[in-house]
Amino acid sequence: MIIGLGHYLSVAAILFTLGILGIFLNRKNVIVILMSIELILLAVNINLVAFSSFLNDIVGQVFALLVLTVAAAEAAIGLAVLVVYFRNRGSIAVEDINLMKG
Amino acid sequence: MSFQAAGYSLTPALPELVLTVSAMVLLMLGAFRGEKITGLVTALAVAMLVVTGLVVLWLPAGKLTTFGGSFIVDDFARFLKVLALTGSAVALILSRGFLEEPSRRIFEYAILIMLSTVGMMILISAADLITLYLGLELMSLALYVVASSHRDDAKSTEAGLKYFVLGALSSGMLLYGASLIYGFTGTVSFAGIAAAAKEPTTGLVFGLVFLLAGLCFKISAVPFHMWTPDVYEGAPTPVTAFFASAPKVAALAVFTRVALTAFPGITSQWQQIVVFVAIASMVLGSFAAIGQKNIKRLMAYSSIGHMGFALVGLAAGTQEGAQGVLVYIAIYVAMTLGTFSVILAMKRNGQPVETISDFAGLSRTNPLLAFFLAMLLFSLAGIPPLAGFFAKFYVFLAAIKAGLFTLAVIGVVASVIGAFYYLTIIKVMYFDEPKGAVDPVRTELRTVLAVAGGFNMLFFIYPAPLITAATAAAKSLF
Amino acid sequence: MILPALFFYLFAGICVASAVMVIASRNPVHSVLFLILAFVNASGLFVLLGAEFLAMILVVVYVGAVAVLFLFVIMMLDVDFAELRQGFLEYLPVGLLIGAVFLAELLLVAGGWAINPALVKTAVAPIPADITNTEALGLVLYTRYIHYFQISGIVLLVAMIGAIVLTLRHKPSVKRQDINVQNARTKAMAMEVRKVAVGQGLQDPPSREAAE
Repeated sequence: MIIGLGHYLSVAAILFTLGILGIFLNRKNVIVILMSIELILLAVNINLVAFSSFLNDIVGQVFALLVLTVAAAEAAIGLAVLVVYFRNRGSIAVEDINLMKG
Repeated sequence: MSFQAAGYSLTPALPELVLTVSAMVLLMLGAFRGEKITGLVTALAVAMLVVTGLVVLWLPAGKLTTFGGSFIVDDFARFLKVLALTGSAVALILSRGFLEEPSRRIFEYAILIMLSTVGMMILISAADLITLYLGLELMSLALYVVASSHRDDAKSTEAGLKYFVLGALSSGMLLYGASLIYGFTGTVSFAGIAAAAKEPTTGLVFGLVFLLAGLCFKISAVPFHMWTPDVYEGAPTPVTAFFASAPKVAALAVFTRVALTAFPGITSQWQQIVVFVAIASMVLGSFAAIGQKNIKRLMAYSSIGHMGFALVGLAAGTQEGAQGVLVYIAIYVAMTLGTFSVILAMKRNGQPVETISDFAGLSRTNPLLAFFLAMLLFSLAGIPPLAGFFAKFYVFLAAIKAGLFTLAVIGVVASVIGAFYYLTIIKVMYFDEPKGAVDPVRTELRTVLAVAGGFNMLFFIYPAPLITAATAAAKSLF
Repeated sequence: MILPALFFYLFAGICVASAVMVIASRNPVHSVLFLILAFVNASGLFVLLGAEFLAMILVVVYVGAVAVLFLFVIMMLDVDFAELRQGFLEYLPVGLLIGAVFLAELLLVAGGWAINPALVKTAVAPIPADITNTEALGLVLYTRYIHYFQISGIVLLVAMIGAIVLTLRHKPSVKRQDINVQNARTKAMAMEVRKVAVGQGLQDPPSREAAE
C-alpha cells in the first residue's frame, strides 16, 4: 500500500476530466461552468504539488501558489462578466448565449 | 547566494517597468480626476506606449537575460515588442471616437490596454513556463474586461462571457500541459526543458499537446477558433481592432519561442501538430468567410486564415521559417489595423454600419476610402506587388525549402480561394449602387489609414529594413 | 505505513466524489458547497504531500474567498432555479463516453509515470529538509522568484480594475456619506433658536438647504 506519484496524478487526471466534462455537458448554467474551471485548476495544482514533492524541488509549489493567485483573479473577473451579462439578458442559461451565430 | 550570481539586473525589464509604473500613475490620475479626463488619459497612454517602444530600442544590444534566466531580451523579443506596442498604440488611437460618447467614457480602458500590453511583453520575453503563464494571464484577463467593456450592450457582454469561458478553459489546458512538462523534465525553464527533452516519451508528448492546444486558442487557430467570430462581432469595433493585432503578435511570438527553443529535440512531434493546425486554419479561414454578411465576422475568419499562413513558416522549423513568421505578423498587423480603421470610419448618421452590403457604391460616395480599402483587401488576399504578397511569399518559400511541399501547395490553393471573398467586397464597393454617403472620417482614422495603406502599397519599393530586422530576430532564436 | 495510504484514499475519494457532485448537482448552491468540500479534501492531499503552506492557502483563499464570491453572485443574480433544473445533462451518454476515453488516456500517462531519479539530484531549488514548508517557500518566493510575485500582483490589480469597471455603477439619485461635510457642520448651521409668538405658530420655516 505505498502511495506513489501515479496515485496523485490519477486523482488529478480524474478531476481534470470532470472539469472538462462539466464545461461541455452543462447546457443550463454558466456558474457551474466557472466552477468546472476551478476544478481544472485544482487538478493542475495537485499535479504540480505532487511533482514538486516527488522531484524534491520547490519550484512546483511556487508555481502552484501562483496558479492559486491567478485563479482567484480569474474567478473575480469571470463573475464580474457574468453579472454584467445577467444585467443585460436576465438569464445565465448556456442555451441563451446565442445572440451571434455563424 | 547563488541567485545573485545568476543575475537579477532590472535593465532588461526596463520597458515593462516603465509601462507598468506609467499605467499606475495614469490610474491614479483617472481615479482622482474622474472620467472627464478620459481623453487625456488615453493620449498619455499612447505617448507612454511610444516611449516604452523607444526604451525597448534603447536597451543594450545582444542577448540579455535576467531574473535567473527566466526573462530574456534578444532581437526576436525586441522586434515583436516594438510590433506589439505599435499595435496597442494604434488600437488606442482608433478607440478615441468610441471613448468620446458620454456613456462610454471609461478611462480604465486605456489603463487595461496598457497592462495587457505589459502582459504581452512579458509573454514575448518569457523563457520559462511560469513567466509564460503569468504573462498570458495578465494579457488575457485585461482582454476579457475590454471585450465586455460596453457593458450596457448585450452583444458586448455576451462576447466577453464567451471569450472568458473559452479563454479560461484554454489556460487550464495550457497549465495541465505545463505541469506534465515540469514533471517530466524537472524544470520549468525552456533551456532546461530543451536539455531534458531529447526524445519523445508519452508524458512529454501529452504535455506538449496540451500546451500547444492552449496556445492555439490564443492565436485562434483551428480547432480552437470557435470563439473568434462571435467575439470579433460582439466586442466594440475598436476592441476588435485591438484583438486582431497586438495579442496575436504576442501569442504567435510565444508559440514560436516555445516550439523552437524548448522543444528542438522533438521537432518532428510538434511539427505534425503545427502542420495540421496550419492546414485546418487556412482552409477553414478561406471557406467559412465566403458566406459572411458582417464585415467584423469576415475579418475574424480572415484572421483565422492568416494565423494558419503564419504557422506555415513555423512548421518549417528553420531560421527562414521563423523569419517568415516575423515578416508575416508584421505585415498582417499593418493590414488589419488599416482595414479596421476603414470599418470604424463606416458610419451613417453617427451610427456605425458593419454589414458588407453597407459598403455598396463606396467608390462613388467616398472614393479615397474605397481605394485604400481595396488596396488593403488586395494585400490581405496576397496579390502582388502589395505587402501581403511578400508576407505569404516568405512563409511558403521557407516551407518549400524545408520540404513541406504539400503544406505549401494547400496554402497557395487556400489563399486563392480566400481571395474570392476579399474581391467580393471590392466588387460591392465599385460596382453596386450607392447606399448614401458616409459621415466625414475622423482625422485619426484617416492618419492611421494613410500610414497603413501607404506601408502596404509601397513596401515592395524598400522592403530592406523589415526584412533585415526579421532576419536578425530569427537568427537570435537559433 | 498503512495510515497515509488510508488517508490518501479517504481524501482522494471524497475529493473526486464531490467533484462529480459539483457538475451533476442541480442546484448551484449545492455545487458551490461540493466545490468547497473538494477543495478541503484536496488540501488534505497537499498535507500528505508535505506542502502544508499551500494546503492552508487553499482553504483560506478558496473556501474563504472564491467560494463565498460564488455564493454571493448566485444569491445576487436571483436566478430561477426551477427553470434551470429542467433538461439537465441531456448530453450525458455521449459526454460520458468521450470523457471515459479521455480519462483512460490520461490515466495511462499518469499511472505509468516514474520520476527520472537523475532529476531529483539536479533540482533547481531543492526543498530544504530542516525548515518548515512555509519558511522554505518564503525563502525563494521573495528572492529568487520575486518577479513572479510582482507579476501576480499586477494580475490582481487588473482583476480589481476589471471588476470595478464592469460592475460599479454611479447612480446620481443615491445619497452618499461625505465625512468632510459632516465634520464641517457647526452648531450654527445645524440649529436655530426662535421665539414663537403665542397662537401664531412658526412662520416661514427655514429650509435645510438655506441653513447649509
